[in-house]
This record gives sequence, C-alpha cells and structure tokens, in this order.
Amino acid sequence: MAKDSEIIVGIDLGTTNSLVAYADKSGPSVITDGDYASVPSVVRFGVEGEIAAVGQEARDHAVEYAESTVYSIKRMMGRGFSQLEDEIRHLAYPVERRGSAEDPERDVAAVRVGARLITPPEISAAILGALKVRAERHFGRSIKKAVVTVPAYFDDAQRQATRDAAFIAGLEAVRIVNEPTAAALAYGLDRQEQAKIAVYDFGGGTFDVTLLKLSGDVFEVISTNGDTHLGGDDLDREIIKLATREIREEFGLEIDTPAIKQALRTFAERVKIALSSQTKTTLEIDLGNNRIYRRDISVQEFEELIDPWVDRTLTCCTQALRDARMHAQDVDQVVMVGGSTRIGHVRRRVGEFFGVRPYTALNPEQVVALGAAMQASILAGDRRDMLLLDVTPLSLGIETMGGAMGKLIMKNTKIPCQATESFTTFQDGQTAVKINILQGERELAQDCRSLGLFNLTCIPPMPSGMPKIDVTFLIDQNGILNVSAKEQRSGTVAGIQILPTHGLTVEEVKRMSTESLSHAREDMEAHRLIDLRNQVAFDTHKAEQMLERHGHLIEADLRGRLQEAMVSLRAFSGTTTECNDLSRRLTEFDHMMIPLAEVAVLAGVQRSDV
Amino acid sequence: MSDRACSVPQKCLACDAELRSPIVCQDCHKLYPIPKSVDYFELLGLDHRYDIDLSRLDDRFLSVSRHIHPDYFTNAGEEMGHLSTRLSAEINEALKVLKDPVLRAGYMLELSGGPSASDDRSVPPEILSESVMLREEIEQATADGDGKSLDSLRKRVEERGSQLLSRIRELAKQLPNASDDEKSSLRQALNSMKYYNNMLDLLWNS
Repeated sequence: MAKDSEIIVGIDLGTTNSLVAYADKSGPSVITDGDYASVPSVVRFGVEGEIAAVGQEARDHAVEYAESTVYSIKRMMGRGFSQLEDEIRHLAYPVERRGSAEDPERDVAAVRVGARLITPPEISAAILGALKVRAERHFGRSIKKAVVTVPAYFDDAQRQATRDAAFIAGLEAVRIVNEPTAAALAYGLDRQEQAKIAVYDFGGGTFDVTLLKLSGDVFEVISTNGDTHLGGDDLDREIIKLATREIREEFGLEIDTPAIKQALRTFAERVKIALSSQTKTTLEIDLGNNRIYRRDISVQEFEELIDPWVDRTLTCCTQALRDARMHAQDVDQVVMVGGSTRIGHVRRRVGEFFGVRPYTALNPEQVVALGAAMQASILAGDRRDMLLLDVTPLSLGIETMGGAMGKLIMKNTKIPCQATESFTTFQDGQTAVKINILQGERELAQDCRSLGLFNLTCIPPMPSGMPKIDVTFLIDQNGILNVSAKEQRSGTVAGIQILPTHGLTVEEVKRMSTESLSHAREDMEAHRLIDLRNQVAFDTHKAEQMLERHGHLIEADLRGRLQEAMVSLRAFSGTTTECNDLSRRLTEFDHMMIPLAEVAVLAGVQRSDV
Repeated sequence: MSDRACSVPQKCLACDAELRSPIVCQDCHKLYPIPKSVDYFELLGLDHRYDIDLSRLDDRFLSVSRHIHPDYFTNAGEEMGHLSTRLSAEINEALKVLKDPVLRAGYMLELSGGPSASDDRSVPPEILSESVMLREEIEQATADGDGKSLDSLRKRVEERGSQLLSRIRELAKQLPNASDDEKSSLRQALNSMKYYNNMLDLLWNS
C-alpha cells in the first residue's frame, strides 16, 4: 500500500454504467454491491433540485419520473448547448443553455430541474458519489483519491469536466486515464511478448480506437481516434426512430411526451440486447385506448439499421491506422471493450476489417475499471514494473490572424508534451493579450473546438511589438492543458485568466463542491436524527416496561419524575431536528434511569433466588 | 527552456550517489532540472552522430522514462510531480526529434551553429515551381473525384520525398563538420521537404 496508506480506487465513469475497482496484490477486482457490479449512470432529482436517487433505483423508476431522471450525461460533459441541439430533442429531460454574467458568450449545457440549472459535472458527481460510498462501505474507511477513465478521444474541456465532477464529489482525480489504455493494461496481464494491439472501444455513448505497441512491461500508445458522440445510444435511437415513424404512419400519433420517450428508450435497449442472442424479437408498445403497436424485428433488419454507425467506427479505425503508419494486417490482436461490442454484427465487421478474430476473454463492461484499478496501484507506488506511455488525441493550437488554426502540438504526440510560442502587443502600452486556444484537426479556427479564451495580463506597458511574452502550453499526463506565461524583457510572470468556453470556472467548481459536501453533511445529519429517534423510542419503551414492573420499588417522587421525563423526551424527539440537543437529552434521560435499572436488576436477581 | 539549470551536478544531492544521468538519480529517484548545456543526445546518453542506432534510441528513452515518468511521482509532493511532468515532456520531445530523420537533421544543423532551416527559409526555385504544378494537379484530381490520378500523384510525391530524404541523410552525415556550402544545401533540402510533406497531407485528406 502507498506510503500514506491512502487507498486509490479505479473508476470507470460510463455513459450507461459506472464501476469502481481496486487492485491488491492478487490483482484487480470490481467492488460490487450484492449482485450488482455496476451502478447505472442515472440520477433522479427531486423538485428542489436535490438528488433523489442514483443508480439502479433511478433507472428502475425512469419512466415514472421521466422529466427529472437524467441519463447519458457523459455525452454532455464539457459541451455547449449549441453543440448538442440535435441530440437534446431526443432526451426525455429538459436541457438548456447556461451562460454566465461575466462571460455572455459562454455556453454550458445544463439540465433544468425546477428552478435550478444543473451542470453535467454536478450530475456526474452524484454518480461518482455513489461509487465513493460503495468503496467506503467495502473498505470501512473514507476514500479520497481515484483514477478516473475517459474516452481517449475526449478533448481538454471534456477531461476538465470529468476532473471537476470528481472534485465536486469530494474525490481527487489523481489521474485521468484513457479507457482503451486502461483496457489494454487489464488485458496485458496475460499478454504475449511484442505485439501490436488495437483496442476497439464501443460504449454506450462514445467510440474510441487505440493502437498500442506492447513489449514486455511497456505499453506504448501509437495513435488514437474516435468520436465522443457515437455509441450504443445511437443504435437505440435507430430503433426509436423506426417505431416513432411507424406509430405516426399507423396511428397518426406523435411521440412527444417525456414518459413515452423514456419508455421507448428502455424498450429499444431491450430489443438491442435481445437481438444480440436471438434472431428475432417482437416490438410491442401499448399506446393506450386499445391501440397497440406491434411488429417483429429480425437480426438482419437490426443490422441494416446500425450498419451506418458501424461504418463510422471503421472510418475512425482507418484514420488511426493511417496516423500510426500501419496497415490493418499489421495488427496482431483486437481487443473488444464496451457494451456495444456484445453485438455479433459489430464483432463480425471488426474481425473482417482487421482480419483477426476479436479477443473477448474479459468482460467488456468491466475491463476498463479493472485497468483503472491497476493504474491506481502504479500511482500508489505499489508497483514500478509497468510503464504506460500515452498520447494526446487531438492537435492543439491557437487562433492566428485571419481565423486560421495554428498548430503547436500535433495529435498523437506522447504526453506529457509542451510547446512554447511568443506573443507581442499591437498597441503602445497594451497590458493584456487574449489568446483563443483550440483543439482539432481542421484548418479554420471556427471548425475546431475552442477550449477557452486565455487572457494574458500584467504585461508591463511598452511600445507596441516590444514585449515578448513566451507562453508555454503543457499537456500533462492527464491529457489536460496547463498554460504558463513569462514576459522575457522584464522577466515578469504574466497572469493568466481563463474563461472556459464550455466548462466551469475554478470558483464555480469550488462552490459546487462545498454545496455538495454540505448536502452530504445534511444527509448525514438526517441519518443521525433517524438513528437518535429510534434510540429514544427504544430507551423510552424499555423505561416504560421497567416502570410498570418495578416502579413500586422506587420512591413515588422519583417515579413521578421519571414518568414526566419519559413523556417529555418522547415529545421532544418527535418535534426537534437538532441532533445535538436530542442526543444530550437522551444521555440525560439514560442517566436518570440508572437508579431504576439498578433496582430492576436487583429485583431480577432476588426473584431468581427464590 | 526556463527549466534548465546552469551547472551539471556530479553527485546526487539527496543520497550522494554518482549521477549517471544529468536529470535523475538512478538510486533514490531524485530529479534534477535539465542543465542548459545538455542537448537531446546527452539527455539520452547517445553519441553526437546522425547515423544513430534507432533501437538503442528506444532503449535509452525507455530506461530514462522508467525513472522520471509522472506515474511514479504521485506521492512525491507537488514540486517533484511538476518536475517529472516537465522532464518527461522534454524526453518525449528528444525522442521525437532524434527518431525522425528530417527533424534530427534539422536539430543537428541548429546545434552546429548558423541560422536554422526555418530562419533561413531558402528553397530552390525549381521546388517552388514543381510544388505549384503539383498542387494544381491535386486540386484538379480532387475536384474530378479522380481516385486513380490521386493515387499516382501520391506515389510521385512520395518518390520525390524519398529522393530528397536520401539527400538530407547524405548532407546531415557531414555534420557537425560540414562546410558552409553543405550546411546551406541542407537548409534548402529541409525546407523543400516541408513542401512535400504539406502536399502529402493534402493528398491523404483528399
């Protein structure tokens, strides 16, 4: 275990399901709760915007509470409302744009619950919180650190949002690890020497492909590609679209209520799973008023529906191979990760593409969490025998004059990596320079993703063109950008103010964390109150019994006072919400009861003597 | 490079062991900022020559990475953690530059003094006219959706690129003792290479 003996868990924060795992000397294993290995990534909110349920319970009642049950939140992490408009139409819960006073341009997608707008990191934090509690119950101690996985193709904003979510949940994300890399680590346990591996990771909401070179204990990522908006959700949506269209044609009905949207979604998921093992299944939806939509759907029909999506994953594979300067036949092994790889058609097409039978020895839904746990054990200092070398998935650059994207760091560069660029001023006495930082492969800034505006301040006033501000862009081992700046002539360190385009500011994250922790404290108080009330009920009940049986053995005066104290404590317990007061009164009461208890014990002894 | 210190320590300040690498103590894993005078070859413990053994380069890279990778400094405090991140970034850059025959030539040219290829910007005129011509052909073939033409153009550009690469290798081997004429030919060859690479990018994305 680590020097400070702090436990670091591995967390797979998935679109559909999330898991927590831990690796000890015997290897990694998933921390389960009874029969459940995973926590569904579903959160239900109450009318005030408070968390009402997380995980299985929230999923079980998703149709009932369609508008306040949030699922697939991962697809919104680090994204703006404007980027998600197409997708939002299909959701059962309402999503809005959340701007901010200091930056009207900012566009963060957020879920509307009553009067509150809840951001994706806060919702993910609820899921992480449930995993944290699960791990804490397992170890019987508090857990503060975790390795959290993200799709390899996540950009800086999406990674930041994930790290923010952990922070809000009271967890330090000691490392953000790419899911396919984690999966390779888990698979690497029984690896062969020197192999080129493709990890095909088709999850609930995202797709990634990563090409790695394995030699001995070194895991070296060569290239990665993907689509953070391509997953099982899209396959479900094909079935939903089919049913929606046919219901409109047959019954003239539009499916637009949140409850029917949610029901249809659950249904589509079931059809997809059924067709992974059967050749045919029946779609049947009760539309009310004796109207029933029913039709058979065959595997062939399903495969035709999803084929365009599978094609898109293979396009990503082609690009990854091209970037690695490899051919499909150079790949020795293809590892399948993610729930969507359970679909036979997906396996077949991937097998054909690479010309090898995909490797599926490990549970595709658990392999990422297991790998995260192994990475956690490396970070905890438990092992130094493995070396993991990962890359940045997207090129990083800045907007140059004329709106072009000036690349500073190319995609698939080993991380950590850095680049330094010099900036100057255009006006005499100018003390600040704004830089628009971009990620992406396109030529024009507007076609790339803006990570945010970096405002370099505190530049000493000089004639225009004189200051030379060296800005260093460092992508760390988490794939997250760190920016530092120095004015070379004066040697002053320039200040940097960051306005994230689709993310939260440091202050906002801190506030959310405090709020969520104070909620947790409120929750704890509530639990304590319930426990205390139960104790009061139990103790007063016992006192009542003793008074009945042995009350005649004590003085009438004391008997009267005990009677009175009992009634008053019961009344107080029923009305107060102050745990500390109730606890004090209970202790006083227990203390008062001691003489009677002693008499009762003695009476018992005497009676047994008879 | 702001992280580069001025002098090279001989012994580890923490455990007094003889330092075999300028940036890390192999015994106690204490890290040191990269000394100003140390170049990429020295960083990885390789001889200053253009013809390097690529598998030895990989071995050296891995063995240094094993000591400085941020994975091993999670509990070592913030300062050591940051230093390991920055050192790893430098080592990664060193590997990238030394592994690539064109970048390596450019880097050695810079080490040998005089203007760098990109400062110099000179390109033989025949390359400029050839590139204008090729670009037009590529655009035409792309507009026509003519896959066959694009394939043959790609072959042509790749062939021209590999001829140029042989020339770069020839010239770079003379470094660091190359004559001024050889150096300026190398600069031109390196700049020409950029044109071919840009065209290849264009062709791959067409």
